[in-house]
Amino acid sequence: MKFEHCVRCTLCVENCPVFKVNPEFPGPKQAGPDAQRFRLDGERSVDAWVKLCSQCKRCEIACPYGVNVSEIILKAQLKYSSEHMSPFTAHLFANTHYLGKLGSSAAYLTNALSSTSLMRGTLGLMGLSSYLPLPEYRFLTLNRGRRRKGRFRSPRKVVFFHGCYLNYNRPDVGRKIRDLLTYLGCRVVMPRQTCCGLPALGNGDVDIARKFAQVNARELVSWINKGYKILYACTSCGLTLTHDYPETLRIPEGRKIAENTYNVHEFIASGVEDGTLTVEFGPVDRHVAYHIPCHLRALGIGYPAARLFEKIPDLKFHILDEDCCGLSGSYGFKKKNEGTAAALGEIAANAIRAVEPDALVSDCGACKMQLGHFTGLPALDPSEIIIESLRPRAPKKAFMKRRPT
Amino acid sequence: MSRYEYDAVVVGGGVSGIMAALTLSDKGFKVALVSKGDPVCCLSTGCIDVMTGSGGPLKGIAGLPADHPYRRAGEETIREALGSFLKIMEKGGLPYTGTVEENRRIITPIGTAKHTCLVPMTMAGAHFDEGEYLHVVSFKGIRDFYPSYITSRMRNSSFSVFDAGVSTTMGIAAKFEDEGFLSRFISWLQGIENPYDRLALPAVLGLSNPVRVMKRISEATGRQVLELPTLPPSIPGLRLFRTLKAALQARGGHLYWGKGVSSVESQGGQIEALTLATTARAARVQGRAFILATGSFVSGGLYAGRDSVKETVFGLPVFHPAERRDWFHTDFFTPGHAIEKAGIEVDDCFRPLGADVQNLFVCGSILARSEVMKNQCGHGLAIATGVAAAQACARGLA
Amino acid sequence: MIKTDVIIIGGGATGCGIARDLALRGVPHCLVEKGDFANGATGACHGLLHSGGRYVVNDPVAASECISENAILRKIAQKCVERTGGLFVRLPGDSKKYRDAFLKNCEEVGIATEVLSPSRALDLVPELNPAIEEAISVPDCSIDPFRLCMLNAYTSRRKGGGILIHHRVIDVIREKGMCVGVKVEDRSTSQVKEIRAKMIINASGAWGDVIARMGGSEVPMTLSKGSLIITNHRLTNMVINRLRTPSDGDIIVPNEAVCLAGTTSIRVDDPDAVEVDAAEVDLVATQAEQMIPRFGSTRLIRAYTGVRPLLKAESSDSRSISRGFRIIDHKNGMISIMGGKLSTYRLMAEKTVDAVMGVFGIKARCRTADLPLDGQDELTGYPLSKRLKSIDSVVCECELVDREAVENTINSLGTGYIGDIQHRTRLGMGPCQGGFCTYRALGIMQEAGRMSPAESIETLKTFLQRRFRGIRPALWGDQLREEQLVESIYLGILNMGQRP
Repeated sequence: MKFEHCVRCTLCVENCPVFKVNPEFPGPKQAGPDAQRFRLDGERSVDAWVKLCSQCKRCEIACPYGVNVSEIILKAQLKYSSEHMSPFTAHLFANTHYLGKLGSSAAYLTNALSSTSLMRGTLGLMGLSSYLPLPEYRFLTLNRGRRRKGRFRSPRKVVFFHGCYLNYNRPDVGRKIRDLLTYLGCRVVMPRQTCCGLPALGNGDVDIARKFAQVNARELVSWINKGYKILYACTSCGLTLTHDYPETLRIPEGRKIAENTYNVHEFIASGVEDGTLTVEFGPVDRHVAYHIPCHLRALGIGYPAARLFEKIPDLKFHILDEDCCGLSGSYGFKKKNEGTAAALGEIAANAIRAVEPDALVSDCGACKMQLGHFTGLPALDPSEIIIESLRPRAPKKAFMKRRPT
Repeated sequence: MSRYEYDAVVVGGGVSGIMAALTLSDKGFKVALVSKGDPVCCLSTGCIDVMTGSGGPLKGIAGLPADHPYRRAGEETIREALGSFLKIMEKGGLPYTGTVEENRRIITPIGTAKHTCLVPMTMAGAHFDEGEYLHVVSFKGIRDFYPSYITSRMRNSSFSVFDAGVSTTMGIAAKFEDEGFLSRFISWLQGIENPYDRLALPAVLGLSNPVRVMKRISEATGRQVLELPTLPPSIPGLRLFRTLKAALQARGGHLYWGKGVSSVESQGGQIEALTLATTARAARVQGRAFILATGSFVSGGLYAGRDSVKETVFGLPVFHPAERRDWFHTDFFTPGHAIEKAGIEVDDCFRPLGADVQNLFVCGSILARSEVMKNQCGHGLAIATGVAAAQACARGLA
Repeated sequence: MIKTDVIIIGGGATGCGIARDLALRGVPHCLVEKGDFANGATGACHGLLHSGGRYVVNDPVAASECISENAILRKIAQKCVERTGGLFVRLPGDSKKYRDAFLKNCEEVGIATEVLSPSRALDLVPELNPAIEEAISVPDCSIDPFRLCMLNAYTSRRKGGGILIHHRVIDVIREKGMCVGVKVEDRSTSQVKEIRAKMIINASGAWGDVIARMGGSEVPMTLSKGSLIITNHRLTNMVINRLRTPSDGDIIVPNEAVCLAGTTSIRVDDPDAVEVDAAEVDLVATQAEQMIPRFGSTRLIRAYTGVRPLLKAESSDSRSISRGFRIIDHKNGMISIMGGKLSTYRLMAEKTVDAVMGVFGIKARCRTADLPLDGQDELTGYPLSKRLKSIDSVVCECELVDREAVENTINSLGTGYIGDIQHRTRLGMGPCQGGFCTYRALGIMQEAGRMSPAESIETLKTFLQRRFRGIRPALWGDQLREEQLVESIYLGILNMGQRP
């Protein structure tokens, strides 16, 4: 009954990126608490416009009274999808996992084809948007690589839940994070994992989401029982593991998973702050814009990577947390959302340009793709900045050879 | 449980909370700001009302009872706090103008006038003045702005309507960020032949840099351009909040947003830590001192049950009119219903009375006897008491 | 001057029902009502289309009328009626004798019942108190009294009847001791009009005695105030009644997106000067809480009150005075129809018109039970699927009323009364109680030239004052927060209270 608390203050509306640029979306207040009073069980859903919500969660964070706006909208979205035929793109993105497997198995071919106009045209006909180049796939995914690293007897045992983007598209960053953790003395395990399930939820398929969640839960719980902490770098995976597993999908051990799951920078920062991790931060002469992913805000843990950046000498960073990048996972890849995603991308890019950085940093893969495209700046992961700071004092083999960015 | 340690923890991210956090940050303390959601200043006009009265705010304040929070802060602190606010906004790219010596009468969306003290630069020209010819530009389909209300009350005024393609304040403001749209708008404006002195629009001149947009339009038309306050969603209110928040982030303040306080740990008259119910697991935010700036009923700092009022974070004793039937006068337009007096009573150091706690300070509209509607003093009180409470807190921390 | 055969004074359910009946029987008539439709008890009732269960133990005749009218209205007024079904719940301590009598009488009178176990009842209504001992289902329905009046009046208009809302009777014209007409004041223009007719029907409800006296007679009445509270959203999709001797606060009715709970019963003297007391609000909430526990803490958006027009009796408990109706022929050209309840309005109208037919010597048969109400096709329904054509230009976001609906109402009625728009579109009936949308609706009206900007602001002030009366007794919790927000807009941003 949390929606009872809604007094129509419009704070959620003021924060909604989609409402700002797409007049077809009536805003989170209307899609959520307003319309909810009229949603009767057993009535067929007619509110197609709820699908325009990108589930960025900004509305829910803005509500001073804890109305679960995005959750109300999510439930309405799922109900609508279950009653109407989903477009092809919804099925495509609900199964990001298989998309990734396919794309990465024939990575060279995939990458070569995806930029051709024939392919772009075909994908356009299938309902994919065309403003953003498709991400490149890598054959040597994290799954295919080394699954365990670090001192076996280390007291700091962690599972790295890497998520699909790092696995199939940027395994290099994934390996960097793995190496950073092992450098800090952790025993890192990357067990069998499948998509966290968020793209399925976002595309209206709660059954697939639950299936993925159950597979992951089994694996993760077995490691938790062995004393491992679960770490994530992708903040959307993190939100899914800690919020959707126990709440939306009601996975039986969801609460346990949530309790034992940490953002990788949260883990490192608390170790540094309480002294259990002794780290010497070397200077990094960079001026970066740190674009905060919407889902990191939703986690309520503050900005842990920023806490680490504060300790790096010479590093100038600006926190930019007012704008959603617009890509919102698979949302911006769908043609019907193209206008919205592109408009938001431009606004967020303007905010970055205004601080005149030489690179942008973001935890989220979608943010990196989108904003890297709009600004033309190098798009780095926070861990890459941290590694730059630690690399000079680290043994040569601690980190992979640095690829020019 | 995750743990975070700070010198000072401010609960409530509104104008008073952020000003308190900024004051402490400037003094070199490590500050965390915890907020359950966005503050109500985002819904305000963005203007800083200090105290209504044609004799100027300070005169009005001097006439308040001695136990009013403004009197406890004192004139010197009020001046200092407002000066500090002006500097912060200037540095943050959203300059304000005005002086605490006098009030200005600005035009409201229904063409009445209202006292306020400091206004964003884009509203510098929004004063009620029938000597100058005012032309109002509205937007097609906009639901909460009817220019005829203004033009029917002001001699020497007229209006026209522009079709922006969108009709919400947020949508139009986003359009003004686009260069192409701005050029189109300016060409259309240049076609208006009325010999106006001032050009007024509802406050939608962009989200991030309205002064730049205002200057562009002013240069193109050769006239003074101004924004008028609107109903929520209010763009100037949003700009005010975002600028203050960015200032705190730039100063190194840590923000924990969107999750409320689930429990408080205290021992021997000292509050030690707060627990936040974050998504994954509870987070313990430890501090040497705490500031309560959670606001009044709308934001949830106070909660009114059927016959009593509670303070929702620390459970502090709340002063309020005893009987529910006395909370509101029968006349809706009463300048200040009795329930407005409700809140936390404090001593001269802004510590709560009757609470037996040494390291907690209170500021903003949660203070008893604020009477924000009656005195028209919302943001001014927030700024003054935010700074005053932070100064008292800093003395305690040193 | 208007000349007609019959004048009907009162635009509540009875008056409008009479207008329709006369129209269908071909009798020229004119209805006058000082406010909008359902201005009196009709607009302030529970919105319950009784199955009769409430009366079946103590007043089986009334119950019998209810159940037969229930079936008729379900048929003819489909868009006004939501077939929610109802439950009579028995809590620990409630009389089993009453329960047995209830079942027995229901069977005799013809009210279909089914005895349900607590678990079955909780399946149907999850918010029910889990401590109930049993529930008995009955064919109660939720009904929209305003729509009912409006559609009845629509038939009258279609057949040439005169319907004059916002026309107040200031005097009854008498010649040689007989009532031959009325003088009415058009409240929009202050113009006084004369209407002459052969017969005047006094269907003015709580004002019955006032009108009868204007005609030179009197109707001894007991006026009883009944107050109800409105929740923010539906806590039940079925009508919930208490299985015991009728008392205060023992009915909860779902209506559109809210629940109505009530009622109280307090003697009053003046039908115009009634207010809801905070104590009544608490009383109703406490009683309702026994059936649906969440009532104790749920958000209430408003309280309202109406005056029951009851025929005077010796008994001091106004609840026990029969709700049956009476037709009184004053033998001076005026007939008064008094008492009754919303559920039996059609029957009351039928009997009244039958009486009038005798006077005119016309033999036309009543057809109101056979023909469905006109004008139902254009009406929206409650759930989202029936309400929302598009989400562009929504004016009232709480109740999903769009600009087109508002403009259509303004254009078709030519009205300057904001209340008229509210009754017809549900603008302002939601959680914010018109806090935002009324400002918009008035803006639209003044842009459409229906009123000047100054008049529009005055209307806004009057509206805000009137709105506050209904909200004030229930102001605590979330609704108090709502009110503080609304105040910050009207008293803060718009500065309507002060003159700087």
